[in-house]
Amino acid sequence: MSDPIETQGPETPDSGAGMSQGHVLDLKLPIGWLLSAYGVLLTVYGLVTKKEMYQISLGLNLNLAWGILMIVIGGGFLLAAFLKKGRKAG
Amino acid sequence: MQAPIIALNAVDYAIIAGYILVMVLVGYSLKKYMKTGEDFFLSGRSLPSWITGLAFLSANLGALEIIGMVANSAKYGIATVHFYWVGAIPAMVFLGVFMMPFYYGSRVRTVPEYLKRRYNERTRGLNAISFAIMTILMSGISLYAMALLFKVMLGWPFHTSVLFAAVVVLLYVFWGGLSSSIYNEVIQFFLIWLGLLPIVFLGLRQVGGFAGLAAKFAATMREPLLHSIKFLGTSNNPLGVDWFGVVMGLGFVLSFGYWTTDFLVVQRALASKNINAARMTPIIAAFPKMLVPILVVIPGLVALLVLPQYSQSAVPATDYNSTLILLMKYYLPNGLLGLAITALLASFMSGMAGNVTAFNTIWTYDIYGSYIRKGRPDAHYVKVGKWATVVGVLISIGTAYIALGFKNLMDYMQLIFSFFNAPLFATFLLGMFWRGATGAGGFWGLLVGILTAAGHYLLFKLGVIHYHSDMAANFYQAWWAWLADFVVTIGVSLFTAKRDPKELAGLVFGLTPKPKAHRRWYARPAVWGALAIAVAVALNLIFW
Repeated sequence: MSDPIETQGPETPDSGAGMSQGHVLDLKLPIGWLLSAYGVLLTVYGLVTKKEMYQISLGLNLNLAWGILMIVIGGGFLLAAFLKKGRKAG
Repeated sequence: MQAPIIALNAVDYAIIAGYILVMVLVGYSLKKYMKTGEDFFLSGRSLPSWITGLAFLSANLGALEIIGMVANSAKYGIATVHFYWVGAIPAMVFLGVFMMPFYYGSRVRTVPEYLKRRYNERTRGLNAISFAIMTILMSGISLYAMALLFKVMLGWPFHTSVLFAAVVVLLYVFWGGLSSSIYNEVIQFFLIWLGLLPIVFLGLRQVGGFAGLAAKFAATMREPLLHSIKFLGTSNNPLGVDWFGVVMGLGFVLSFGYWTTDFLVVQRALASKNINAARMTPIIAAFPKMLVPILVVIPGLVALLVLPQYSQSAVPATDYNSTLILLMKYYLPNGLLGLAITALLASFMSGMAGNVTAFNTIWTYDIYGSYIRKGRPDAHYVKVGKWATVVGVLISIGTAYIALGFKNLMDYMQLIFSFFNAPLFATFLLGMFWRGATGAGGFWGLLVGILTAAGHYLLFKLGVIHYHSDMAANFYQAWWAWLADFVVTIGVSLFTAKRDPKELAGLVFGLTPKPKAHRRWYARPAVWGALAIAVAVALNLIFW
């Protein structure tokens, strides 16, 4: 994610004495793990459940479809977090 | 006891448990960063704007808000979009472009602290105490509504839900302070969209898309439900409010009052890592905010067409507050159901956590640190803040049981806003943009504004003044409270001693150097703000 706003501009205030070093926990990681885990759970559940259960969702196995979507979104967050980490380390 | 509306299975419970586990772990892992007061109360002023922006939006996207707006949409139709495109976007852009330089630039830690520096100690005290009461009431309302909903919907015991949610919120706010609260809000943002979009998708699929929706309403002579503005010429429309009430009451006073002066939302911007990020916070939030009607308005309209409870032959005076719950039962299979419940649970808990963090900050800085124990070392105030969290949660449990006595929670909340936020906006507007406003003017204006709201409320309840709907009463109450504050502040200021302009540098427009424009045009708040306004205007025209 190349968010232009996220990058530190020249207007960053001086970090004087007593300023914190910032909170280094990358929020992309817990979001990514949570959404991917949900995605895997829903996908597996969608695969093992019978068609009759999906009558209410207009006959669509939405657990399966939504599970895959959530794996993609969660995986995207994890990928972004790891890329950022790699950039910092490199 | 009545049988629960919805039956959950093990997969649903696993999804709920996963969310709670992640929240507690995130709170625990933040513990080691909480060294100073700024860390605990303002996230060390270190967060990027995408995080503060999403938290800024989610702080307002509580479960009550979502359930209430789906209900509004079933009741009032597309006019519900006014709460977003008229009642939020302009205020959010105004906050980011014009007001944030004074909030963030002056390095104040809270909204009352700004009032102290701009006006005087008394004005701060009035605001700090009324705000502390308001947040703790709101936090109790979240807790109460959650426990009640889960009792009716899932059959969970009321007291257990209250205690369990209170303990989880307490743990992660105690450990991680504002950061915990903000991180929970960002996670909630994604859960709300992922949890509720299946309903929107299935609903539109069943009625045949937007075209099918429109055709079905036209066929049943309910066309006014499909227009936001066309029928606002008089108050004879689904909302029961005329254009003046919508534009001035909701669009101007209520919305600007809430978005620009409520510390609950402003605190998120103050946690940003620099002034540009702080200014971008509400503007970044404005874009997803414009899309929230997809989640709330479409389900409300679909419900009118598909749910047997809302068919035109059904008994009128249906309870619209259960619209969303009925739709969840109607469309979602187990699995997705757990996800949707988790989304609601997350927004209840983050609603409570947001209020608790705003409370402990105001209590520690503006009440304890100003009137009870001044000038202690920073570590002392962090400790006080942590204990204020515990006490805040305990009082919330108490107020949750007080809330048992109120029938309509949404009206109750709007009422609280029109009492405290609406007049406060006049105080801020004059304080930031007119150097002639004096300390005495600020205090008396605010006090008279609050009293005007109280007086208006009394007259309305006694039947002396009449409106087409409670909503119209709220809008006009906000307007009169604002006007009273505005006029009194100016009047008193003209006859009281002015402050030395040097003391007001950094606090008032015209006495503050303009923030340097960002080098790159695409990172400038004004550019994005203008774009947000343009999109909002276009949306209003499309759904005229």
